[in-house]
Amino acid sequence: MHKRFYLSLLLISGLVLFTYALFAAYREATPEWKKYQAEYRRLLVLNAKDAATREKAAALKIGHRQIYLGKLNRVDRCTYCHLGVENPLMAKVRQPFRQHSGTLLANHPVNKFGCTICHNGQGRATNKKEAHGEGHETHWDYPILPLKYIQSSCARCHDNEMLRTNGGDKVVRGEELFREKGCKGCHKLNRVGGDLGKVLDGIGSQPLAHFPMRHIFGEHTVYNWLKEHFDQPWRIVPESKMRVFLTDEESDLLTNYILTLRADEVPRDYRRIHSPRAVELDGKALYTIYCIACHGDGKISVYDNTLQRTIPAIMNPAFLKVAGNRHLKTFVRDGRSGTPMTAWKAKAAGLTDPEIDRIIEYLTRERPEVPAEPFGFLNYPRDPAKGKELFEVHCAFCHGQKGEGGLGLNLRNPTVQEKIDPEFLAMTVRDGREGTPMPPFGKQGMNFSNEAIADVVAYVKQLAKKKP
Amino acid sequence: MKEIREPGISEFIGNLKNLKQSFLGSFLRSGTPTSDKSRAATMFNNFFLHIQGVKTHINTLRPTYTFGLGLISFFLLLIVVFSGAILMIYYNPSIEHAYNTVKDINYVVYAGRVLRNIHKWAGEGMIIFVLLHMTRVFYTGSYKNGREFNWVIGIGLLIFVFGLNLSGYMLPWDQLAYWALVIVSNIIQSPKEITDALGITHFFDVGGFFKELFLGGHVAGKESLNRVYALHIMFFPLLLFVFLAVHFWRIRKDGGLTKPENFVPGEDHPEDALLPKKSGGLFPTYKTYGLMELARGRTPAVDQDVENMVMSWPNLIIAELAVFVFTLACVLIYSFYIDAPLREMANPLIPENPAKAPWYFLGLQELLSYSAFMGGVGLPGIAILGLVLIPYLDREQRHVGIWFSNRQGIIVTLQAFVAAVLVNVGLLVFVVRFGWFRNWWPDIPQLLITLVNPGNLWVAFMTAWSLWVIKRTGSTRMGAIALFTMFLVSYVIFTYMGTQFRGPNWDFFWSRSQWPVH
Repeated sequence: MHKRFYLSLLLISGLVLFTYALFAAYREATPEWKKYQAEYRRLLVLNAKDAATREKAAALKIGHRQIYLGKLNRVDRCTYCHLGVENPLMAKVRQPFRQHSGTLLANHPVNKFGCTICHNGQGRATNKKEAHGEGHETHWDYPILPLKYIQSSCARCHDNEMLRTNGGDKVVRGEELFREKGCKGCHKLNRVGGDLGKVLDGIGSQPLAHFPMRHIFGEHTVYNWLKEHFDQPWRIVPESKMRVFLTDEESDLLTNYILTLRADEVPRDYRRIHSPRAVELDGKALYTIYCIACHGDGKISVYDNTLQRTIPAIMNPAFLKVAGNRHLKTFVRDGRSGTPMTAWKAKAAGLTDPEIDRIIEYLTRERPEVPAEPFGFLNYPRDPAKGKELFEVHCAFCHGQKGEGGLGLNLRNPTVQEKIDPEFLAMTVRDGREGTPMPPFGKQGMNFSNEAIADVVAYVKQLAKKKP
Repeated sequence: MKEIREPGISEFIGNLKNLKQSFLGSFLRSGTPTSDKSRAATMFNNFFLHIQGVKTHINTLRPTYTFGLGLISFFLLLIVVFSGAILMIYYNPSIEHAYNTVKDINYVVYAGRVLRNIHKWAGEGMIIFVLLHMTRVFYTGSYKNGREFNWVIGIGLLIFVFGLNLSGYMLPWDQLAYWALVIVSNIIQSPKEITDALGITHFFDVGGFFKELFLGGHVAGKESLNRVYALHIMFFPLLLFVFLAVHFWRIRKDGGLTKPENFVPGEDHPEDALLPKKSGGLFPTYKTYGLMELARGRTPAVDQDVENMVMSWPNLIIAELAVFVFTLACVLIYSFYIDAPLREMANPLIPENPAKAPWYFLGLQELLSYSAFMGGVGLPGIAILGLVLIPYLDREQRHVGIWFSNRQGIIVTLQAFVAAVLVNVGLLVFVVRFGWFRNWWPDIPQLLITLVNPGNLWVAFMTAWSLWVIKRTGSTRMGAIALFTMFLVSYVIFTYMGTQFRGPNWDFFWSRSQWPVH
């Protein structure tokens, strides 16, 4: 029945099956790496100096070879193709056969460290594309690191002391830049730092999916993201408020450093990190790390476009004349709510009290000898009702009808309401705040009487009890 | 001594000479198949072959009657079992090693990548071919005349094939596997929608119970992988093989495949058959004979339509072999060019958006997006129940073995097809364009949406249409044809919708390139 149909189906399918079985067997028997191994053997024979080594070279077996790294939980098969990594005769041949550059392998034997612990890439893969993990279709989160960022891997086991002089200078300089640019003013790292930006712990080992790749020009990799983001943060993350101005070289250095901030740890006996000496940073260093990103040199107030507010000049003598250390400490410790100013106390941004004291010491080193004339707030009648009328006429334009802030500070915030004593407020109103839009309302300016100023302050002090 | 030894030696040498003959004879139990009698014996003396009749009706051998769909499904199963057994040697079902062992299968096991592809694609092929086989059986009316329960067993097999594919999808423990596991556990949990709406979840959390039973905890983790693995290599295969054995056995007991009552060979004339060599045969070629010569009792095939029967050996066996080699060749070619997907390692911290179930469940996921309970339990339950009930509600015993029964059947099928495409696509367009109750009245009770949602409306429409067809034609078979056609169309349309047009947050997108890149 339908003899011809079934017999021809059988015949054709059988032929096709046989052909494709052969194709498959051939493809499996001739993977990419076998060609590389044969080529390497040819190079070995070519470079052999005497008959004995030539014979030995010719006997090189083509086959599987892997570096099993039990403690690192890795299997590296890079030597399927990179066969000459440890062979000094292969110093000048083309990749993938070239000997590893420098003297690093002397202290990092391949059979103990493998390759991917430093270079990334997919150790288990045995074809170039997937082993290097490049391109979205390889679905590999840690593509091979370009050499300009390779130093970031050194920091997995080594500390700055060692890196500085032994070929890890990019990481060290990156770390210095990280401090100089005041990154921690907004970013938390090791539980210390501001809260305007993202927490940076572990960012160097985060999978690709954590990074919005939409606006990245180059390859979609984490290091490209970091680099392009340092160049133009707002292009990569439209809502970014990051203030950063870096040269091309600097952004590479910083990328190197950020890539060292990994969440995973190499096992202890691989690490050469000596417990870092607890360095006591002085006030200037602390100011650089935590404050400089916003406050700059702190001499003049400027209106900042990204933050959309005036950043106060905190080292301005006129300000320091009025603001006592106690107030400064309150500002630094508790921040100023409603503004980007972070609360820097140990429970929030993570600075200890002694550190805050050192910062304040640094801030106030140019405080004028003569303190401001005291106001004597308690000697006046302090009538909030009269204060209200004055406030609505003279203050509301900047501070808002209900003190909710605008161009000027939000006066309803708890720091102003609870922590700052009225004497300081009264002095500020009387003398104004040099370098800011806040004018003096006392004799030098609007010529308010002290009574009037006390009334206004009394009114301001009870703003919190009213509904906004 | 010499005298005694010599006959022994010559006997030994004689045995050695006859080794081929005697081995074949013992293997086939009845000698080489040279006559019709021995051909018959070859069939009924063989453990594997006797599940088939000694003689086969020539309608069974018509390629355009069965298209070999059931056979292809079975051969795919054989391929899957064989390749799966080899994969099991390398695979390790623990969340630490599962992903790495799959990578190793891809990278260092000889032919591992192709083998994994074969396992994957043959497995998913089973879904398609079991569905197609069901379609064939339905449209040829082959669920009638005592085959009602075998249809039910077939539905069971379909469910196990889904289960096998689904559990296998989760084994590589990559991002696809993990998030499919999460989605499926949510589907399992979907009765919670009803218990929540009734406010009895606290006492009677049936959804939560089954979710926990499936996952081995509240979230997907190592216990879940063990359970899925056990389902994949033990529970589902065991059930599948038992059901399959019964499925085959019942076909045999029902007298082989269905055939038209008044079969006329027409162009498919027996002369075309691979006629047995007649040298040394017992029976002359012109003589046909009934099975009662070889089988006793009231076995259904006995003495029916004898003139249209041919010897199963070699006619049927060659057809089966051809289909097997054809299936194997197709699977190999597909697997040679297309790799089974393998994503990044499972990471519970990086949700895939959208987290999609495997493609064959995306129709269900689409329904799930309307109402969790109806999509997860209600509608699939109704669909399965409906399929099971078809042979019991359509008792007409006419037109068995004829595609679409008759001319009216073709018209009813086409009408149902057009109506289903129009109404189903229209429904989806409406939902995408205007949303549903929750978008119009945010505070509407969930129970109301569970009762009235696009999925339910679709099922109601299918039912109404089929009842109308029954009323119009006066035939339950026509009603069944309309219902089944609409079911198939909507399975394809909903699945296509979920696969192609749903992006992040299950929003509508014309193509994947329009997805907002994360």
